Amino acid sequence: MLPGYFGFRNWRQIFASETGLISSFLLSVVISLSVALTSTLSGFLISRSVSYHPRKRLFTLLTYFPYILAPVVFAACLSYFFLKTGLFGSATGVVVAQFMIAFPYALIFFSSFWNERIRQYEELTATLGGNRRQTFLKVLLPLAKGMLLICFFQTFLISWFEYGLTSIIGVGKVQTLTIKVFLFIKEANFYYGALSCCLLIFPPVLLLYINKRYVFNKLI
Amino acid sequence: MFLEVKNIVKSFHNEAVVRDLNFSLDAHKTLSILGKSGCGKTTMLKIIAGLENADAGTISLGGKNIDDVKPGKRNVVYLYQEDLLFPHLNIFENIAFGLRIKKFSELEITEKVNAMVESLELKGQETKMPHQLSGGQRQRVSFGRAIITNPSLLLLDEPFGSLDAGTRQRMQEFFKSLTAKYQITSLFVTHDLKEAILMGDEIAYMETGRLKVYTDKTDFINDPATGVKNEIGFWENLISVKPEKEIPRK
Repeated sequence: MLPGYFGFRNWRQIFASETGLISSFLLSVVISLSVALTSTLSGFLISRSVSYHPRKRLFTLLTYFPYILAPVVFAACLSYFFLKTGLFGSATGVVVAQFMIAFPYALIFFSSFWNERIRQYEELTATLGGNRRQTFLKVLLPLAKGMLLICFFQTFLISWFEYGLTSIIGVGKVQTLTIKVFLFIKEANFYYGALSCCLLIFPPVLLLYINKRYVFNKLI
Repeated sequence: MFLEVKNIVKSFHNEAVVRDLNFSLDAHKTLSILGKSGCGKTTMLKIIAGLENADAGTISLGGKNIDDVKPGKRNVVYLYQEDLLFPHLNIFENIAFGLRIKKFSELEITEKVNAMVESLELKGQETKMPHQLSGGQRQRVSFGRAIITNPSLLLLDEPFGSLDAGTRQRMQEFFKSLTAKYQITSLFVTHDLKEAILMGDEIAYMETGRLKVYTDKTDFINDPATGVKNEIGFWENLISVKPEKEIPRK
């Protein structure tokens, strides 16, 4: 039942092979970090404008649009524009496509942050002599620190486990780790499938630990 | 006059909230403004602070028109009912906040904040976080954070509204001494009759967006609209009612 050897030798052998597992892992990390970073920051900034806008309810309704469609259908709708802009089959195209799913999530996530009390903090800072940049850097970002970290974590996960959009926009050229897992399963290559699953779970577990250690404990 | 407010008008969705607002105030004086909830007090303060735009009218401060001056450049600080201390900063940093924004040197910040901490009777509490202080202490820090920036005008929107009766009374006395020490010019909004009389050098009453300023407190007391007469009548009646005869126990 148990393997005869425990150590890094097997891992080294796997990474040295031509399965492209390590490159897929690194590509997934880069894509997910890009998606999480851009969607969290832009979601935080733009959710402020949406929350304070007189047509807040309409904009909030529109943010749910990407979730009405199945990711595959959504990708099929987008594929024409990705073809036109030359983003089809590229890592940048996958980042843009995944951003379209993660960004509305960030908008919805931060909508609860912008309440009357936060507006009062903004106004107080303004009358104390602060400009918009100072208000963001010295007041709003520190106040939202916990939410920013949680949103980053969530959007990272959305991107990390995304399959439908990535497979269509990536057209098999962009092989993220999730795509790789499905490929191994299709090939009935369960050794590599199990191994890629181990790799797949590693970053979320790390992020979960960071969140538990530095965010959740402080929120409670 | 140091503060002059002329013909200010403000409406929201065709509903007039502030109507033809006219008043003036000398430097280093406090005008207390009494009014019921929703009478336009907060909107009036926000217009003076530059946080809301008036539909018409002008405001001048220290002889200069400030209609087009942004809130951050008016040197007018607006304080809410809530103390709004920054939860991520300790007491020292909360008080120093305005000075850091205005890019004072580290030496000046330390000197000014230490002096302010002493004035606020909070010596030894500088490293504490806001959640470790009582309601009264938090409100004192909030005053200190505003006053340390040496504002031309301080706007207080029911600042003691969330405090219990005892703390409220202590804070009223404390605020009086603080404004005298730092020669603060302020508008003090409240819906508490006694507080309005106690806190103001001058007194005004606001009703459905109109503000009436009284030249002396006797006029304010004698005006039936302010409710002072009713209040006095209530207490007089209470005292003059003879206690009922006690029913003998069987």
